[in-house]
Amino acid sequence: MDESGSTETKLVHRLARRAFLKAALGTGSVALLAAGAPAAPPSPTPVPAKPTEAPKSAAPTSTPTVASAARVGTETLRIAIGIDPDTLEPVGSTTTTVDNIVDYMVESLVVLGEDGNPKPTLAESWDISPDGKTYTFKLRQGVTFHDGAALDAEAVKLSWDRLLNPQIRMPSRSPMEVVEAVTVVNPATVRFQLKNAFPPFVAAMTATRYGVVSPNHAKGFPTTYNQQPVGTGPYQYKSRTKGAEVVVVRNEKYWGRKPYYATVQFRIVPEAATRESLILANQAELIILPPITDIPKLQQNPQIKVLLAPSNRTIFMAIDNTRPGPGKEVKFRQALNHAVDKEGIIKSILFGGAEAMDGVMSPMLFGYCKTGTYAYDPNKAKQMLKDGGWTNVSLKMLHPTGRYVQDAQTSQAIAGNLREVGLNVETATMDWPTYLATITAPPEKCTSDIHMLGWAPSVLDANQSMVQFKKSNWPPSGLATSHYYNPQVEDLINKADQNLNEKERAEQYCQAAKIVWNECPWIFLWVQRFPIVYSAKLKNVGSLAIEKFWAIYAEPI
Amino acid sequence: MFTYIIQRLAAAVPTLLGVAVIVFLMLRLLPGDPARVIAGVLASAEDVEGIRRQLGLDQPLVVQFALFLGGLLRLDLGLSARTSQPVMQEVLARLPYTIELAVMATAIATAIGIAAGVVAATHHNSKVDYLVSAASLCGVSMPVYWLGLMLIVVFAINLRWFPAAGADQPASFVLPSLTLASFTVALIARMTRSSMLEVLRQDYVQTARAKGLHERAVLYAHALRNALLPVITIVGLQFGTLLGGAVLTETVFGWPGIGQLLVESIFARDYPLVQGIVLTFSGLFILVNLAVDVLYAYVDPRIHYR
Repeated sequence: MDESGSTETKLVHRLARRAFLKAALGTGSVALLAAGAPAAPPSPTPVPAKPTEAPKSAAPTSTPTVASAARVGTETLRIAIGIDPDTLEPVGSTTTTVDNIVDYMVESLVVLGEDGNPKPTLAESWDISPDGKTYTFKLRQGVTFHDGAALDAEAVKLSWDRLLNPQIRMPSRSPMEVVEAVTVVNPATVRFQLKNAFPPFVAAMTATRYGVVSPNHAKGFPTTYNQQPVGTGPYQYKSRTKGAEVVVVRNEKYWGRKPYYATVQFRIVPEAATRESLILANQAELIILPPITDIPKLQQNPQIKVLLAPSNRTIFMAIDNTRPGPGKEVKFRQALNHAVDKEGIIKSILFGGAEAMDGVMSPMLFGYCKTGTYAYDPNKAKQMLKDGGWTNVSLKMLHPTGRYVQDAQTSQAIAGNLREVGLNVETATMDWPTYLATITAPPEKCTSDIHMLGWAPSVLDANQSMVQFKKSNWPPSGLATSHYYNPQVEDLINKADQNLNEKERAEQYCQAAKIVWNECPWIFLWVQRFPIVYSAKLKNVGSLAIEKFWAIYAEPI
Repeated sequence: MFTYIIQRLAAAVPTLLGVAVIVFLMLRLLPGDPARVIAGVLASAEDVEGIRRQLGLDQPLVVQFALFLGGLLRLDLGLSARTSQPVMQEVLARLPYTIELAVMATAIATAIGIAAGVVAATHHNSKVDYLVSAASLCGVSMPVYWLGLMLIVVFAINLRWFPAAGADQPASFVLPSLTLASFTVALIARMTRSSMLEVLRQDYVQTARAKGLHERAVLYAHALRNALLPVITIVGLQFGTLLGGAVLTETVFGWPGIGQLLVESIFARDYPLVQGIVLTFSGLFILVNLAVDVLYAYVDPRIHYR
């Protein structure tokens, strides 16, 4: 870790107490000045455009070694993240950031690409039967696992049988309970039999947790986790210090294009400000989620690049549609939507790190369609409230703190907006597990009128997003905490979930979305961006729309 | 003395059992469903139920407690709900880091604190005395979180002398230890100062001077030795507290200690791990207290344990 530049230190000050204070104050004021005078307000790029800085990787992992020789080096890339992985075992996956690490080591038959579509990876191609219940994958030849075992249909079957086994603890097996059987057709072909048609099957398979592990891994850990996963990825596991770091080294026998960096060190740094310090002190090359308040300052720093990556995460205020009170009325909910100044909040509290929702899901999802906007119009809101006879209404608002970017701060701003149109708002917060338990109480027992929630489907498909509007997903079965129900919408969504015709599917989701948008079970807020900050000396840093950074082919400029 | 130590250790057992019961019940009184928290918001109801069964949380409370006690008697703290690794393993992986930080912070605080306290006492009511008092006030009042970040800004970003985070380099302990020491050094300085002042007023100090002893001998062989007794108590208590993990410092510096693990586990409702950490910390605290008492007997010949 000699990139820290201690050799660059020009002189050593003998700091007397006053000089120290001066230095600290000076640094502080310079920082304040720099932060207080942005050259231009950061303008969020319109979605679904490409992110602000997106040097594309030269070749996707699916194509084998390209004619242009890949540069290969010996250095270490240091990436700082905020979460200590609970486990590196793919089956145990619960967090996207941890998946981001496991992606370096383990690959699935298909992998999510930067454009949001599944890329052939361990599978070169696949066929879908007309009834949509049988998928046949042709495997790539000549691929070996890190332990030398060969990738063949038998290995894929072993890996899949293991993760489908109820004896192994898999926090997110769904939606793959739809798989009835995995069979070997021949060493290069594997077949998946589904219980019923599931159109997003291939897209869902890109999830890290369905990665293919080596037969030794599968057989050696049939019902427990292997903390040192053995996959086919461009890097392999080297070491781990709990709470401090995970280190992976380049797989010299990788089937695809070899990455530049010989070693990647993932540093666990829970404090956002410290992550930012790491990159400012040149002790890390890439970090995620810096303090959002510092984004404008970082964007002006020539040594640093800021990528506000588009993501799948929508943030909204779910309105309890069944609680006795005005929340049951469409007009009331529409008034609430007009009362909130989304653009203002995005600009001043989120520092440009989001876009106002113009549909019921993130534009990065298949099945997204633009359904409109609720313009910020407090006068119209006041009028609507008056017309509906909703005077002297008290609302109880719940929000988490520290779960989503600026959740507490934006909630307070929203409460302020609502008060401005004449509503009484009482806010409350609690730690995440308590919060979850509170909002997933059975509908009759719910105690809040509106609460903030974020939703980031792990599959970039409307299927996982529209569940929020289905009665079958009301708590305790699921997280449709707004208790919204419209039989027409439910019917459309169910049809779309099973429809194998992509165009028709998208149409049906869109029709459902339009109804939902008009009946606004939520106060539609924004689609969060995922900030990735990296050294300006690095190129080929991108993102995946599921809040992941994509830096496997990063290299120095 | 030996029997005394054995007696104290024996008395620790019911204490630890009491701690175990309290933490077991407290955790289950907390609102929140561990199975749902671990599975995540996107998990289906079946996934959540599956996890609940695997964690044994679908059993009646009495059964859960019986299993927990049974495990304790075999010195088996169970498996972490989040990582499925043995709790003992998780704790032991992070404990050395917390111990290292606690030791370094206490050592720095003790060295500087005692020196400052002695200087202040011997120059009573002078500018130095006021300076030490003012600095102590700052040390006690300064928010650890802010101090840590300021040290990072100055020494890591600007001067590039130390790493901003992590524990992988030899110099990594410096900034976190300084941050952690700030509170303790102030306490120790104040205590040493007032204790020294009192001792310096005693008759035997005058006698020592009258005997013609060098001032340094008077101070260190006679005065300080006696003044240190209350200071030992403070150092011991502080060290014990620091062993519990200095969460804020560990978080700011990305230091892989136990304090952070405890907070993470509480937020994740990882019952076995929280239980394990609290028990470990209680055991350590009991040992530190015992060590302080034994040290007392060694330093003060007037004290005998029966």
